[in-house]
Amino acid sequence: MVGFIVRRFIAMLLTLLAVSIVAFAIIQLPPGDFLTSYIAQLASTGDQVDPRVIENLRAQYGLGEPFYVQYWKWITGVVQGNFGHSFEWKRPVWELIWGRIGNSILLEGLAVIVMWFVALPIGIYAAVRKYSLGDYLSTILGFIGLAVPNFLFALILMYLAYTWFGTTLGGLFSPEFEMARWSLPRVWDFLSHAWAPVLVLATAGTAELIRILRANLLDEMKKPYVVTARAKGLPEWKVILKYPVRLALNPLISTIGWLLPALVSGSVIVSVVMNLPTAGPMLLRSLTTQDMYLAGAIILLLSVLTVIGTLISDILLALIDPRIRYGAR
Amino acid sequence: MNKTQCFKAAGAVAIVAMLTAAGPALGAGQSPMLDALVQSGEIPPLEERLPANPLVLDAESIGQYGGTWRMGMNGGGDNGLIAKTVAYEGLVRFDREWQTVIPNLAESWEANAEATEYTFKLREGVKWSDGAPFTSADIAFTVEMYQDPEYAASSWIDNINNPATVEVIDDLTFKFKFNRPNGMLMDEMASVNGIHITSLQKAYCSQFHPSYNENAAADAEAAGFSSWALHLQDRCAWGWETIRFANPDLPTLYAWVLDQPLTANASRVTWKRNPYYWKVDSEGNQLPYIDRLDMRVSQGGVEELTLAALNGEIDFQERHIATNVNKPLFFDGQEQGGYHLGAVIPSASNTLVFQLNFSHDDPVKRELFQNRDFRIGISHAIDREEIVDLVFTGQGEPYQVAPRPQSPFYDEELAKQYTEFNPELAIEHLEAAGLTEMNGDGVRLMSDGQPVRITVDVISALRPEWIDILEIMQLQLAAVGVEIELNNIDRTLFYEKRPSNDYDAQVWAGDGGLEVVQEPRYYFPFSDESVWAYRWAQWFNGTRPEIAEEPADWAQEQMELYRQIRSSSDPDERADLMRQILAITKEQFPVIGVSLMPDSYSIIRNNLRNAPETMFNAWLFPTPAPMDPVTWYFE
Repeated sequence: MVGFIVRRFIAMLLTLLAVSIVAFAIIQLPPGDFLTSYIAQLASTGDQVDPRVIENLRAQYGLGEPFYVQYWKWITGVVQGNFGHSFEWKRPVWELIWGRIGNSILLEGLAVIVMWFVALPIGIYAAVRKYSLGDYLSTILGFIGLAVPNFLFALILMYLAYTWFGTTLGGLFSPEFEMARWSLPRVWDFLSHAWAPVLVLATAGTAELIRILRANLLDEMKKPYVVTARAKGLPEWKVILKYPVRLALNPLISTIGWLLPALVSGSVIVSVVMNLPTAGPMLLRSLTTQDMYLAGAIILLLSVLTVIGTLISDILLALIDPRIRYGAR
Repeated sequence: MNKTQCFKAAGAVAIVAMLTAAGPALGAGQSPMLDALVQSGEIPPLEERLPANPLVLDAESIGQYGGTWRMGMNGGGDNGLIAKTVAYEGLVRFDREWQTVIPNLAESWEANAEATEYTFKLREGVKWSDGAPFTSADIAFTVEMYQDPEYAASSWIDNINNPATVEVIDDLTFKFKFNRPNGMLMDEMASVNGIHITSLQKAYCSQFHPSYNENAAADAEAAGFSSWALHLQDRCAWGWETIRFANPDLPTLYAWVLDQPLTANASRVTWKRNPYYWKVDSEGNQLPYIDRLDMRVSQGGVEELTLAALNGEIDFQERHIATNVNKPLFFDGQEQGGYHLGAVIPSASNTLVFQLNFSHDDPVKRELFQNRDFRIGISHAIDREEIVDLVFTGQGEPYQVAPRPQSPFYDEELAKQYTEFNPELAIEHLEAAGLTEMNGDGVRLMSDGQPVRITVDVISALRPEWIDILEIMQLQLAAVGVEIELNNIDRTLFYEKRPSNDYDAQVWAGDGGLEVVQEPRYYFPFSDESVWAYRWAQWFNGTRPEIAEEPADWAQEQMELYRQIRSSSDPDERADLMRQILAITKEQFPVIGVSLMPDSYSIIRNNLRNAPETMFNAWLFPTPAPMDPVTWYFE
């Protein structure tokens, strides 16, 4: 088991190195740099920026240097925990993103928990009572959840809250709690705001999970060992939960690693629409303004999370499924 | 309807009183919010905080203190909202009708006959928000900073063609001197660009510059910056630069000072009243009436903001939310939301300006695009009524790129010429431009045998309706044998293509519908935004001599006239010269317009008093700030 984890860990570091190069290269792909987009922004309000001023700025920011020099400077800083400065905000990147990443993990973690809590029972029920009324209902709801784009669902929810209850859904805190320290009232305030985005973020994933679980379980339930267990007189709930459900969970666990990045990228538009201070909108803005160290740090951190997620799912899989544990020599 | 009539019709706009000779009783009243601070000795009493001669603003009614003005910012880079509400405090300003320049921080000024020297006298006893006096030394320091190449700011102060030098006469008197005549200086200083010169306090900002503090570089490093210049730009950013509002320690001359600053993670930017603000109402009460500002910061979308406005959580706003599409929604929500809609007249003349590249690298296209008959042909082929109906639900009218009806420069012929939809006439003109042959697909052939295919660069993210308009135009132009291709690109690329001359045509909105003299980019090759004649504009401005091209004779004539405008200190003479420029524009018809930019609207809470029921919306005239929000109050 230890050897397994060590090997995985080394692979993880190599992957991250590759990701950092690719991320940095992609951020540099669009024409121009932060300054050209800055000038474009100024110009649209009628300002003319003196070319000499631009040259000075470019030198101050170190933007004129070749790609590998910029990358080397950046990555050696990152290794020492220095992610560089954001051009737009003139602040260390780390200072800007930790709160955002925290919000993202919190919100999306909640969404994942809600997803599992809703999807697991429904999925099992739908498989066990195949073609019952309940199965059809959950299938219909599931497909609607899958088919409605998240941002549209968010918009509808916001509009209904406005017309029915006269409240504006959006944000994560009321103004008086925004700057406050964590406390019980603040947690309550957070929950009273967070339910809507969590619901929105969880819907599409829930539907997907229900379908996967139902299909997996249906496959397993036909197998002889289930019939044997039943014939031996095990109670029905034990027959289902102890064997086929455990096996049907395999594909779910192996995708934990992808959940986070999928949720982060999928939540960009939802965050913009519902005004959530998560990493998504900041990544979007840093990409449009070509604030490359900020964008690079966010992408790198998301990849770290993905890779860690994959590692966790590998370990979990090994734990619940002996075949994987012993197969991995 | 001219500008004055329009305002009379609205009937709700107060007249701005300038310096009244019979001064009101000084120190009559202050906000209860400040009483405790005075009692505890944190700030001096009101009469010591106000200048000897405060600026008196006469509003429709005398207000009461208190309340929070709630509004919304869009995303991180929305420093424009702050410039347009809080930061418009220059030496001078415009009156509410955008007609004359009136005193602000400067009490008086005079110019010499050649318009090369301007002498300003500051109000005595005006204080920065930290209580230190505002003097000529601050002005001189700001000029020095702007002209320091390490300090990244550009404005009229360091304009390479005619930079300002400053001569300090005494604490309150100073002179701006120019090598060449600068007749438009007062208009420039009254516009949003006037913010620059009053933006830096010497006492605070000089500590970041090595000329004043030998440890500046070490301090910068200790603060985590790689150079003193970056540190200075962070702490003392120019005019209305975003990062400027991230520093609550920076002393300002605004009516409100920062409480929660604008940072990358701010979900709100809040302001509280400046105890040292230097304007009073006609009874001598210190302004502003409203104690606090609360700007909610969206994450880049305006959906929540729109709902908040509908829900009565916005007190006054036009920016971001007042779209054409939302208008019925806001109209229906008035009763429930407790607000009403005010009229907003945009400064832009046109919804879309079609600009063909006069300096195209391909000589055949260059000749064609410069051919007036070709442009007239295109113009007649556009069915503008259809576009107005489909895209703007009937709001607006067929219009060329010309001064708006409210402008004193309005010329019906210039505004309406060639707007008639007439395909036969269009074909006649296209044939007169040499496009007589067609290929099998019905596309006309240029003199080199190639079909007329024009790629139009557009940024749909900026104005989604541009795509709608262009798609209709595409069909209409195809009917007369001209093919246009839409190229929807990012803003950065859009700008990069200009100096590299890598475009057939670009579209933008018609700036300069009201600010005709200050923003004549479509009337002659004036600036980098004159995309139709980018290289001619370089010749005029001398900014990028390596790509400048000698303009056509008529454009040179216009440039000469504009140089005369710049050197004239007489407004009537300037107006007359501008009309001569516009006459040439009418004759040459350089760019093609579509329709008049329809009027917009503002959301005004019903209990907000003294707020304008009618106002212009412009950048140079940064509304609503010139409508004196410091005199607004809640009832």
